[in-house]
Amino acid sequence: MNRKLASAGAIFACAAVAAGCGSSGGGSTGNTVAGVGSNAKTVTPDMAKNPKGNVTWCIGKDTTGAFSQVVKLYNQQNPNAHAKLLELPTSADAQRTQLVQREQAKSPECDILGMDVTWTAEFAAQGWLRDVTPAIEARKSEFIPSTLETATINGKDWAVPFNTNAGFLYYNSSKIKTPPKTWQQAYQMAKTDGGLGYQGARYEGLTVNFLELLYSNGGSVLSSDGKKATIDSPQAQQVLSFMQQGIKDGAVPKSNSTWMEEESRNAFQNGKVAMLRNWPYVYALAKQAGVKFGLEPLPKFGSGQAASILGGYNLGISTYSKNPGTALSFINFATGPAAQKKFFIKSSLPAVLTQTYNDADVKKAQPFAPQLLTAVQQGKSRPVSPVYPQISEAIYNNVYSALSSGTSPQTALKNAQNQINKALQTF
Amino acid sequence: MSAAQATAARPRVRRRSEISERRLAAYLVSPSLVVIAAVAAFPIGYAIWLSLHQYSLIHPGLVRWVGLDNFRDALTSHAFWSATRVTFIFTAISVTLELVIGLAMALLMHAAFFGRSLLRAVVLVPWAVLTVGTAMMWRTIFDADLGFANQVLQALHLPGSHTVWLGQNGYAMAVLIFADVWKTAPFMALLLLAGLQVIPDDVYEAAKVDGATAWQRFMRITLPLLRPAILVALIFRTLDALRIFDLPFVLTQGSNGTTTLSLYSYQQLTQNRLIGPGSALAILTFIIVMIVSFLYIRLVGGNIRALAEET
Repeated sequence: MNRKLASAGAIFACAAVAAGCGSSGGGSTGNTVAGVGSNAKTVTPDMAKNPKGNVTWCIGKDTTGAFSQVVKLYNQQNPNAHAKLLELPTSADAQRTQLVQREQAKSPECDILGMDVTWTAEFAAQGWLRDVTPAIEARKSEFIPSTLETATINGKDWAVPFNTNAGFLYYNSSKIKTPPKTWQQAYQMAKTDGGLGYQGARYEGLTVNFLELLYSNGGSVLSSDGKKATIDSPQAQQVLSFMQQGIKDGAVPKSNSTWMEEESRNAFQNGKVAMLRNWPYVYALAKQAGVKFGLEPLPKFGSGQAASILGGYNLGISTYSKNPGTALSFINFATGPAAQKKFFIKSSLPAVLTQTYNDADVKKAQPFAPQLLTAVQQGKSRPVSPVYPQISEAIYNNVYSALSSGTSPQTALKNAQNQINKALQTF
Repeated sequence: MSAAQATAARPRVRRRSEISERRLAAYLVSPSLVVIAAVAAFPIGYAIWLSLHQYSLIHPGLVRWVGLDNFRDALTSHAFWSATRVTFIFTAISVTLELVIGLAMALLMHAAFFGRSLLRAVVLVPWAVLTVGTAMMWRTIFDADLGFANQVLQALHLPGSHTVWLGQNGYAMAVLIFADVWKTAPFMALLLLAGLQVIPDDVYEAAKVDGATAWQRFMRITLPLLRPAILVALIFRTLDALRIFDLPFVLTQGSNGTTTLSLYSYQQLTQNRLIGPGSALAILTFIIVMIVSFLYIRLVGGNIRALAEET
């Protein structure tokens, strides 16, 4: 009984989070993960030239119908091939569980795996993905470079970016006249002009919000060889003290510690906070609610570079696929200009191709496209590691205890450092 | 399978002695024992097997035998003991409250008065609602900014209308217990009501004739005769409360001192995919629940039978 309820709970919990649930990121190039790519099979662009036979695309729920439309379009244009959509649950956790189960069973059912950007390293490490380096190389200039980073490990590409996502700073334009350029300004204004909200509950969203400030302040989580934690740094202490002070000062309301995406959006729409860090999906909903607001890419920390954590999904080809050539042909189609435009307009899934953001129809449907392009270009990925869930847990647990139970930043970061190092030793 | 073979070997039970009757009984239940073995014993055995290994997250398919290391790690970790403490605190307080409130509800429902059937139906509504639904509802009610709880406090000019219920250590647990009591007190009431209904009316009438007050009748007649029902209800609820997962999962995701044992092992198993350590935690939870149920049955199980025979 408990198990059933648990999965139902996961769906509820995540359905409410909409865009945020599947959100992750892109960071520094040259991710290193031991063991990835030792015996991988490669898919080359040539193999995609004569698509034929069946392929199945496994990805989260098709809430707007855009996925099935693109599948239909592909099938019309490629009469010898037949693509099929297999919808996974709405919640990201449940999607991952479903895919992991299939891959562990070496099931050929899913040819094309729709993966949140944070799972890609894990899937590659487990040997579940085919090497798509030649296919990416052939089209590299089309993609926004930051979107490729979560799929590039040990110098090879393991998946093709499908959609991306980046955080914005929304501000209530009746209270905030000039949007802040730095987080320092933002917190200062929040103290006097009505508060700032973000995703501060103890979950993945808090990791994202912390990393955005940390990266902007020049900090990091892992060493460049991916073997050691580097989170216990002066930069991180500065950021965590800053965030802690923000709650003490009342710049960030105390209830922020219970907010996920939707709670923080409600707080913004109801005027509880005048500024909000959230994903692009808020735009349409806040407009509908009649809020007068503006939005900007995230501010920077002090004199650092602005950094948003990237979300989104990658498409990989399963090692156990019986039809990898057609799978690649479908992926090229789904990540091509026509399909990307459709997904962006119809499903609000931010495109991974630079050209899509300059399209007149896209700009009309998603007026924030220019700011989003900037945000994605400045975007960073979360640590690329097969043990990412444990790394993130170490971050959000300890950041949360600093923000909410008054643990000192020094202790919190030391604990995070130790827990991440322990996770990295997982063999 | 063994059942089928055994029956084939001895087609007819000749003597009617107690032993052969017992043997017949064993044959008759053996098919169900096979089913139980397949659906219960095998998964438990498999979980024990998993808990003695480590599964690589980096090298595909690599498995390492680690013996009892996963158990040692769990038993020496702060997280495990904190989850155990949380689970027991939750169980003790919520089951006690449920018993008291459930008993009161049962007495009310038992009393014959106008609108009794309506009352019974209304009281049972919380029990009929899915726990996850309940949890979502309480999460909204205890939302710090828009929640009903704080709005009411504010409207009545009571202090605490800015409490972040789910964001602070003691309050989060209080909401958890509150939500659980709200939902399961009716279940307790239902079990106790069944117990009340078998107490014969003439006992009360005799007591009344002897001049016993209502309070005396409750203490001397109702409570002692209700004891078997109370014990059964307590066992049910305690074992359920020790496995609590859904409420903290939805309400707090385990933050602010609400990570229970089940939630902790779920996080390790599903979220972090630590199959070995996660299974070890599940086994430890299982052992704890077993010990508690064993103690219950030892301490009170005999009593139930004795009491049942008395009545």
